[in-house]
Amino acid sequence: MIDERSLAIARRLTISYVVASTAILAASGLLGVVLRWSQAVPQARVGDNFWYALMTAHGLGAFVGWAGFAVMGLAWWTLAGVGFPVRGFGLAMARITWWLMVLGVIGVIATTVFMGFGASWVFLYPLPFYGSGNWGDWATGLFSFSVLLAGLAIVTWCFGILHTVCNREALGSDSSSIGKRLGLAFGWGFLMPRTFAAKRPVPYPVIPLAVIGFDMIIATLPLAGLLIWQILQSMHVVGPANALLAKNILWWFGHPVVYLLLFPAVAVYYWLIPRYAGRNLVAGHVIAIAWTIAVIANVLVWAHHLYLDYPSGTPQAQINTAMQPITFALVLPSALSLYSLAFTIYRSRFRWTPASAALFFGLVGWLLAGLSGVINATIALDVAVHNTLWIVGHFHHMAMLNIGLLIFGAVYALLPELCGKALYSEKLAWIHVWTTFVVGMIFFGLWLVQGLDGAPRRWSVLPSDYDTLTRISLPFVFLLAAAQALFFWNVMQTLRGKGGVATFDERGIPEPTKSTKDWSVHTAEGALMLVAVLLAMAFAVGGYLVGREHGNAGGGGTTTAQSTTAQVSTGEGDVVTGEEGAVTGDATAGARVFASAGCGGCHALSAAGSTGSVGPSLDGANLSEALIKARVTSGKGAMPPFDGQLSPQQIADVAAYVRESSPVVAPPGSAPTPGSDY
Amino acid sequence: MSHTAVIITVAYSIAVALGSAISFAVFRSTARPLEEDRSGTWSRRETTWLVIMVVTLFALLMGTIFYVPYGDTAGPRGQVVRVTGVQFAWAIDAPQPLVTGRPVAFFARSRDVAHSFGVYNPEETLIFQAQVVPDHEQKIVHTFTEPGVYTVRCLEFCGVGHHKMTSSFVVKPA
Repeated sequence: MIDERSLAIARRLTISYVVASTAILAASGLLGVVLRWSQAVPQARVGDNFWYALMTAHGLGAFVGWAGFAVMGLAWWTLAGVGFPVRGFGLAMARITWWLMVLGVIGVIATTVFMGFGASWVFLYPLPFYGSGNWGDWATGLFSFSVLLAGLAIVTWCFGILHTVCNREALGSDSSSIGKRLGLAFGWGFLMPRTFAAKRPVPYPVIPLAVIGFDMIIATLPLAGLLIWQILQSMHVVGPANALLAKNILWWFGHPVVYLLLFPAVAVYYWLIPRYAGRNLVAGHVIAIAWTIAVIANVLVWAHHLYLDYPSGTPQAQINTAMQPITFALVLPSALSLYSLAFTIYRSRFRWTPASAALFFGLVGWLLAGLSGVINATIALDVAVHNTLWIVGHFHHMAMLNIGLLIFGAVYALLPELCGKALYSEKLAWIHVWTTFVVGMIFFGLWLVQGLDGAPRRWSVLPSDYDTLTRISLPFVFLLAAAQALFFWNVMQTLRGKGGVATFDERGIPEPTKSTKDWSVHTAEGALMLVAVLLAMAFAVGGYLVGREHGNAGGGGTTTAQSTTAQVSTGEGDVVTGEEGAVTGDATAGARVFASAGCGGCHALSAAGSTGSVGPSLDGANLSEALIKARVTSGKGAMPPFDGQLSPQQIADVAAYVRESSPVVAPPGSAPTPGSDY
Repeated sequence: MSHTAVIITVAYSIAVALGSAISFAVFRSTARPLEEDRSGTWSRRETTWLVIMVVTLFALLMGTIFYVPYGDTAGPRGQVVRVTGVQFAWAIDAPQPLVTGRPVAFFARSRDVAHSFGVYNPEETLIFQAQVVPDHEQKIVHTFTEPGVYTVRCLEFCGVGHHKMTSSFVVKPA
């Protein structure tokens, strides 16, 4: 067993990771609510680019900043719990990781929410350089740098983990060779006990951590290269890269990063489920075979995200097809782990608490996500669900109902031993766990159904056929969010010592608070207050956004406040209108509409700095305002109609702007570049 | 819902029902804990479970791997369509009107970022899709069976106008 000082170090580390990641959950979770709300309620629609920027922030924030960061933190306490202290080099890495991750997440939020970078979390190259006037190279460079920081956080965490799991004393290794110690940590002592000789079998939770610590270094370094390339390109130091290669590099990282969430979570399951079952993990040596498959297969399955990329003259189709069997092989560690954990629980004296129920539900979530994952892994089936909302349902099962519930379970189980204080309210925890599981099942299940019906993912406004289910899901979104408020409140009150001093039973399971005070009144009051504060803040953020959108005339809704201003400013008396009662356009506002509606994606207009070449160039086009209005409103040929997406006022504004900025002879760069200055 | 989507729905529903039943059984089993320790037997049976999983996955692999959409050709009777994706529009260029019953080869390119050419039939069912990466040509072959107006939607996120990147084309009866 490890000494008290090492325990204190690991304890502080885990608390710092979990507290920071929980704060990120609160922020990125709220963004998620806004996203679905905006899809469901036309009146609540945020501007399109803003929606995509929030989607980018929500993806990276919730996936890496919350779930990833939280399980990375739980890993330190889990390792300490099985006799592996974090110290020396490993400790330095663990501390650097925290700072890199926090700075990276702050950078991501700043560049998305405030600088409008909305290329999604996969920032599929070369999209970061095609912002259609909504974000510039500065935002791309800073975003890439922020993701690079988060990527480096993953690498330093891996070094810290590898240093910790290769601890010779803790492993009881007979050999001092690094290779043999790493082999022991991978579980090879079970398979080749002579080569990998040790005084004790390696504790099971060590194996998945060693595997992911090794794999994520291999997975992350090429991505770091791509990010550095993007930074240099944003500074105009290098030119464009190969888009298909970049996509492969992205998914070379993008698949293993899912297992950065899963494998540490498995370590926690391996550690905590036996505690609640009161028996050792039911696992044969065969589990070491599964993890050996995992360490290799994990970095050789990336192309299953590119199943529908098979351009002529490239080996992509062959690579994709080779990766279906490898992806199937990667099912084995999950299948064997679920077997082991299920039999550990089966007919045991399992102690059901909110913590253990959350862990159990997490296993069910894992099973559901795994089953939909097998469908995604099968090329012949993937064609029907690729890039639909089915995928969104799949990874929310994974991230929220498996990893998320595991994190909640681990927090309820471990908070008392981490801070010495009893959990504030077991009842609130029960409500939180059940609501999260049941409501999550319904909410994410609706995504699966919509996806099977062909609903595209990453659409700020879905085709109207899908509106019914989107609206049905809305109450579940709010319920899920409200349930998380109970979690925040419970954790906060626990940390404030409101639950009294922690006590534990003979298995180390925290006992319910002994407080004789009636919790319900205080809790109800507190929860009410917290929900009220959160809602007020959410609405304040919403108000800010609505104000900003309308101020910028970029909203997708009805006639904006802008129109009033424009009309009033024309002077006293009657509102001055153009021909036949049409509204008068304001060119300054039109410049912003031009950028936010993405006109520059298709049309070159030197005043807007756009170089699109799909549609005709607007420079020197000498079009009348009436013609521009008609084309924007009704569309023609490949040009989509913007009627309903832009208000009549916005269309008038953009017409005035285009009319004004495309004189017959347009000297390039003669006008300031709008769109880049907000 | 497409034929494939129906297969997925049925298979996934059965698997989820089975998984839920097992989960519930495991949950209920803790109400009657065992006195003796059977961990050893269960650990040994994990190897059997591994074999079952390998056989199942192998069967699924063999049953599906030959249905990949790669390398299809339209043949001599094929109809050729050139597709160009750009932020945020599709240019669909067919020399003659498309007809049912004869394979259509779509040659898709992108002028800027990655897009995905997703085609929905007149009943709004997603029937096929393929990614279009800049600087590469993507070929997709499909034989239409019913005449009507087909909707094209971009299925790879491509920026602020991604959801506006739609188009359509007409297939006439042969």
